[in-house]
Amino acid sequence: MMASPAKGGFFRRDFEREPARRVFAGELRESRIHFREGDDEKSPTYVLLPTGERCNRVFLVGTLTEKKKQGDQNLFYRARVIDPSGTFFIMAGSYQPEAMQQIARIEPPAFVAVVGKPNVYETPDGAALVSVRCESVTAVDKDTRDRWVLDCAKATLDRIDSLGTTPDGQRAVQEYQTDPALFRKLVYEALSQLSL
Amino acid sequence: MDYSDTATRISLNVKAKGHEADPVKIAGKLRRLVEEFGVPPGEAERTVLNELAREFSLNGLGTPGGEEKGLNALLPGEWATVEAKVVSLTSSPSPAIAQSGILADSTGAVRFVVWAKANAPLLEDGKWYRFESAVVDEYRGSLNLKIHSGTVIRGISRDTVLIPAITPIADLTPGIGSVKAKVIQEWDVTHDRMHQSGLLADQSGTVKFVIWKEEGKERLVPGTVYSLYYAMVDEFSGRYSLNLNSATVVPEEGDIAVISGDTSFAGALVHIAPGSGLIKRCPVEGCNRVLSRQNYCPVHEIQPGFLYDLRIKGWLDDGKVTKDILIQREVAEQLVGMSMDQAKELAENNPLGTDEVFLRFRERILGRYLVCTGREIDSRMLVKSCEVLRFNPEEIAALLNRAGGSP
Repeated sequence: MMASPAKGGFFRRDFEREPARRVFAGELRESRIHFREGDDEKSPTYVLLPTGERCNRVFLVGTLTEKKKQGDQNLFYRARVIDPSGTFFIMAGSYQPEAMQQIARIEPPAFVAVVGKPNVYETPDGAALVSVRCESVTAVDKDTRDRWVLDCAKATLDRIDSLGTTPDGQRAVQEYQTDPALFRKLVYEALSQLSL
Repeated sequence: MDYSDTATRISLNVKAKGHEADPVKIAGKLRRLVEEFGVPPGEAERTVLNELAREFSLNGLGTPGGEEKGLNALLPGEWATVEAKVVSLTSSPSPAIAQSGILADSTGAVRFVVWAKANAPLLEDGKWYRFESAVVDEYRGSLNLKIHSGTVIRGISRDTVLIPAITPIADLTPGIGSVKAKVIQEWDVTHDRMHQSGLLADQSGTVKFVIWKEEGKERLVPGTVYSLYYAMVDEFSGRYSLNLNSATVVPEEGDIAVISGDTSFAGALVHIAPGSGLIKRCPVEGCNRVLSRQNYCPVHEIQPGFLYDLRIKGWLDDGKVTKDILIQREVAEQLVGMSMDQAKELAENNPLGTDEVFLRFRERILGRYLVCTGREIDSRMLVKSCEVLRFNPEEIAALLNRAGGSP
């Protein structure tokens, strides 16, 4: 089901950039299914969200609480970003030099906006771990964080409302046995923290 | 290529004269002519027909004249006979083409080409002709009537006055179109041969126009309304543009209502592209290209007398689509809160130079929610105004309700 290139298209502008999905940590954590669209090595990979949308890129805003530099030859940063529903695990390595430098300059705790690609890893004990490989990490203010929570709540509710009506939505229902009530509750609780 | 349609047409033609011809055999001959000998398909069809005519000693089969029809009924790939007026002659870029331009009748208009090899009489602008056995083909969605050596051309006298129908800009299709529109923007020309380019608008939409350099071509005056008859509508990458070299340009009195063409898009700024911040431009008149770090212009080479400019190229993303945006100097200064003079000073007094400006820009606006308003050109938005979106606590209640209250 590759998207066919636009009519008469042979310019780069016909390339459609993958949108950055808004997803709460509590939902991203539950993602297990990851797949590649197409056979090419460069074909995009996706994580299927439990609320039924494929996601190649995410945009998240939360509180950077911890960062850790790792490796000798190949330096990389791991960090934790908290949103009202849980924790995002983010990382940036030598292939993401800009994001790595950005993380290096930010002292936790700080509100950060992160753009990156989610990946699902298997831990040695068989559990799955979702981590976001960063394209950029920027320090932002609380206002931006609060606005993101609204944005993310709306996007999540939109996905829940159309769950099962799209091919990805049907697949999510089948693979995750998604209970919409659970995710509505997650959204509700995230929003409740804002009004406090 | 599939020759079966043409072959069937030929065999039906022969059958009408009481003979049998095998379409498969005909298709084979056509293929051989076209693929092995590089004969144009229209010519191949004639050749095969002529051959069959000789074989069966038929007269009047030689050229399929095609039915006589109005210009709006022409279909690609067919032979046609039309009576039409030459409403425009355009200069032809290739020595293989003797003349090209636009034919019109009361039903519509079509582009035409007279091959140099056709040995056709020189057509005169404004005269009516009857063209027997011309070939209709299609290129990028617009029809073209090909006048070849087999076409019989005869001047005819008609005094019909043609009044081309005006099409709303939003309804233009590739081919020929007439619009009544206002020149709302004039753009820098991007090519040596280009005389003028810009944007036309009417109430239904906007379209780019181009006038190529040619003797006697005048520029359109921005802000003026024109009736533009018989312009060539070209399609490129899904976008239309009007080539006005063929058009009859009539300035109109007064003003017309036009749509603004501006759209708004809100989302998070998820990327700031290289080439944002303080940049250097080539000072050569009409060039304005961005210079590399070594002040090198791809056309005019080293330019130490560069001009500074400020801009932001980036991607605005609402979670569903990502839009390419270009924020120019004034809007960028206001958005980032840094004037160009401040940016220059920062770059000149900092070891990182213009990179420092880029980094400051990134710190201040990357990852922020913005709403941008502007015009979309070639799938990129040229931003005219831009604002940071703030958190609005009043939106919480509605979302809480949507989430369904406490479970």
